[in-house]
Amino acid sequence: MLNENDVKYRLILYFARRGATVWLAHLDNMRLFERAFNRAGWPIAWTEDAFNPRPILVFGLPVGVGIETRRDPVEVTLEQRIELKPMVERLNRSFPRGVEIVDWGEAPDTRKSLMSLVKSADYMIEAPSIGQAFSRTFEGGHPVLISWTRKGRTSQVDIASRIFETYVVKKDSIEFKGGAGSDLHLRVDLLLEALVRDGGLSNDDALGARVVRKRVHCDLLPRCLPGSLDKRLE
Amino acid sequence: MQRFESPQFRSILRSVAKPARYVGGELYAIDKRNEFFSLREEDRVHFAFCFPDLYEIAMSNLAIQIIYAALNRDDHVFCERCFAPDVDLRSLLRKRDLPLVSIETMTPLSEFDIIGFSLHYELAYTAVLEMLDLAGIPLRAADRNDSDPLIVAGGPIACNLEPMASFFDLILLGDGEFQLPKLVDEYREHKVSKGSKYDFLRRVCHMDGIYVPAFYEPRYRDDGQIEEISVVEPIAPKSVRKAIVRDFNLAPIATSPIVPNMEVTHDRMVLEIFRGCARGCRFCQAGFTYRPLRERSPETLVDAAEKLIDSTGCDEMGLLSLSTSDYSNIDGLTRALLPMVEPRHINLSLPSLRLDAFDFDLAERIARTRRGGLTFAPEAGTQRLRDVINKNISEDDLFDTARTAFENGWDRLKLYFMLGLPTETDEDVEGIVDLTMRLLSVWRDLPKERRSKRLFVTVSTSFFIPKPFTPFQWERQISINEMREKQQRLADGLTDRRISYRWHDFESSVIEAVLARGDRRLSDVIERAWRAGSYLDAWHEHFDYDIWLDALSLIPGGADFYTRERAEDEIFPWEHLDIGVTRRFFERERRRSREGRVSLSCFDGCSACGCSVWQTGVCSPSVHDACSDNGGVSC
Repeated sequence: MLNENDVKYRLILYFARRGATVWLAHLDNMRLFERAFNRAGWPIAWTEDAFNPRPILVFGLPVGVGIETRRDPVEVTLEQRIELKPMVERLNRSFPRGVEIVDWGEAPDTRKSLMSLVKSADYMIEAPSIGQAFSRTFEGGHPVLISWTRKGRTSQVDIASRIFETYVVKKDSIEFKGGAGSDLHLRVDLLLEALVRDGGLSNDDALGARVVRKRVHCDLLPRCLPGSLDKRLE
Repeated sequence: MQRFESPQFRSILRSVAKPARYVGGELYAIDKRNEFFSLREEDRVHFAFCFPDLYEIAMSNLAIQIIYAALNRDDHVFCERCFAPDVDLRSLLRKRDLPLVSIETMTPLSEFDIIGFSLHYELAYTAVLEMLDLAGIPLRAADRNDSDPLIVAGGPIACNLEPMASFFDLILLGDGEFQLPKLVDEYREHKVSKGSKYDFLRRVCHMDGIYVPAFYEPRYRDDGQIEEISVVEPIAPKSVRKAIVRDFNLAPIATSPIVPNMEVTHDRMVLEIFRGCARGCRFCQAGFTYRPLRERSPETLVDAAEKLIDSTGCDEMGLLSLSTSDYSNIDGLTRALLPMVEPRHINLSLPSLRLDAFDFDLAERIARTRRGGLTFAPEAGTQRLRDVINKNISEDDLFDTARTAFENGWDRLKLYFMLGLPTETDEDVEGIVDLTMRLLSVWRDLPKERRSKRLFVTVSTSFFIPKPFTPFQWERQISINEMREKQQRLADGLTDRRISYRWHDFESSVIEAVLARGDRRLSDVIERAWRAGSYLDAWHEHFDYDIWLDALSLIPGGADFYTRERAEDEIFPWEHLDIGVTRRFFERERRRSREGRVSLSCFDGCSACGCSVWQTGVCSPSVHDACSDNGGVSC
């Protein structure tokens, strides 16, 4: 099935998710994409695993339950080149309502996985009086430690060190750049927990908060996509 | 999409497990609220399809796809879905005093015209009560008035919903894809005429498969058995005959089924290749209630398969029926399907393969798409007992098939058996051990280079539950002590490390048996169990036997009254319902079982079960010209 000297063709798609699909867990989100690709007839390459072959899809970041996205990257490997614009349009018609591909480009020329290239992400969070809670929590620049239990092991996570840059603090909304990927990943639920504990945000308002991941920043990607250059990446 | 902007909605979803269960928004979920609500109130019928279990179970069921598509085809009807909330959401709804709402438009259940429950197993009954109560709807039909929704039920266990009779206004018996839209259409006309609910029930009670429990009244003897079931509404028919789809090729196939966003229990596209079964295994209710066997043509199926593959994008296709290999052209069908699924990495799964009809070439071809385990259901450990239950498979077939499978690299074998079948002895239980060990030997005796490296065998047992409309409807269920003893005997025998043994719960089997052959007096028991906290009883972690035992104290004799062997001439609670197969046939089959005599399948000759009145499917005159009135069986 391979053409062009048997080189498979890698591509990065950027997707937004809104509405009902926001409540899907990561694995369900992956399956949703697999099925949409099938329906749209994309020539996705499959892993060579004899017993459990899977379509080759790599999400830059897992999508957490309850998080909207506006521009999350997903890398797909194709058996052959395709004419992108009509195929993306077809793919967009194949998604359930709420999911949409908003941009695309070639994958960076590297052996590193997309996941390891992800360094940070821009978030917007809306909740009543969240601005004040945010300022109160992080004033003074002290570490803000939250304990996190995973697989029976509890560790202390410093939330403050994972907020890289604050863009906007309004009464009922905040926008910031947080760590993402393997190092210094910021979990939004832990941030909200800190805002409740140290900033006086009510628990109900934290649970009802709207969380939007507006953009994911990756190393190497700017070269392929001049439109999305972000020079502040470390 | 406005509701997702509400902080209250988000906070609920963040407080429960798997919120995707409750938000809808799946591909092909229908939201036609704008068109629908612009119709005049009397021109539209709002229908809530309810399934009394969690989303992942509900959406694994084909019934919902069939009914959803069949009802929504009509612009005047809007069918939405509503499923049982898990215990976390249930507590939250109660704490915040929020009503149960539909998935598509979040309309409170109480605002629908008709609420239809799809019932597939008895242990879901308490969830029906919970859903009605969460919706703020009075539980009992007698306590509801004309402004409450009409509460209806259907599904495979509709053939005896007497334990739930007090809660439903109407029960649909048999195939629903044509009859339910007809009923809903009648309801729309009824809305125009502005009559009472009673008028409506009287109007429809003569339609095939429409059973209005309030029009019938059982009278009990002192010992609790039924003395008589009388018709208390003069115009109601004496007996209610199930509705059937006569030409199954005309039954619509939902080729754009709702594609769940989250993983569900059976996550695949489903192709129902035929309905009904020709075999007549004497314990199997579905094998009789879905008669006669009616096939879809290969052309219809291949066309539907193509559409399903394109519309769903799923990576597995299941062929659905009660006995896949009985499809008359299973070879041709699989040969046509394989080139469609292979290039797209779609697994083809064929459940319910019967051993004797198992064609290895066929399995090999399917194995190319999927190397799963090999599953057989001999049901009983000895030939004697298999003859008693009319499971006509022989050990030679089993061993031959297993040998070929092992030689071809299959390394997982699943075996299903039932414990507590009528006439079962210790020898029959030992027979399960013996059969399993001999299957292991088949593998062991093969030269190493010709067999799979390892072998995993899973033996699963369930306990026999006598069901209405089977030749075993008179039989008793064994006691918990006997269950424990048989299960232990089996566990002691199955010690090889290659075998893992799983068995079904004792207690929930008892309650299932009580409800399966229950009468109307159980309505009080079910309500009491529900009030005491019973909910989602089919889930091991939620089932509480003590609650049920306490509730059953309302009945003299308790559970034993229902699990006992029934008298030969006993009037059953379902006596006024007619699924096509006659009581006379069941009596004859029971006698034959006691004599250890097997009966023919419908393919080999007509046994005069009663379904020939429909003259369709396997009962078409062209299929059995030789079929005489008293059938091909000598009594």
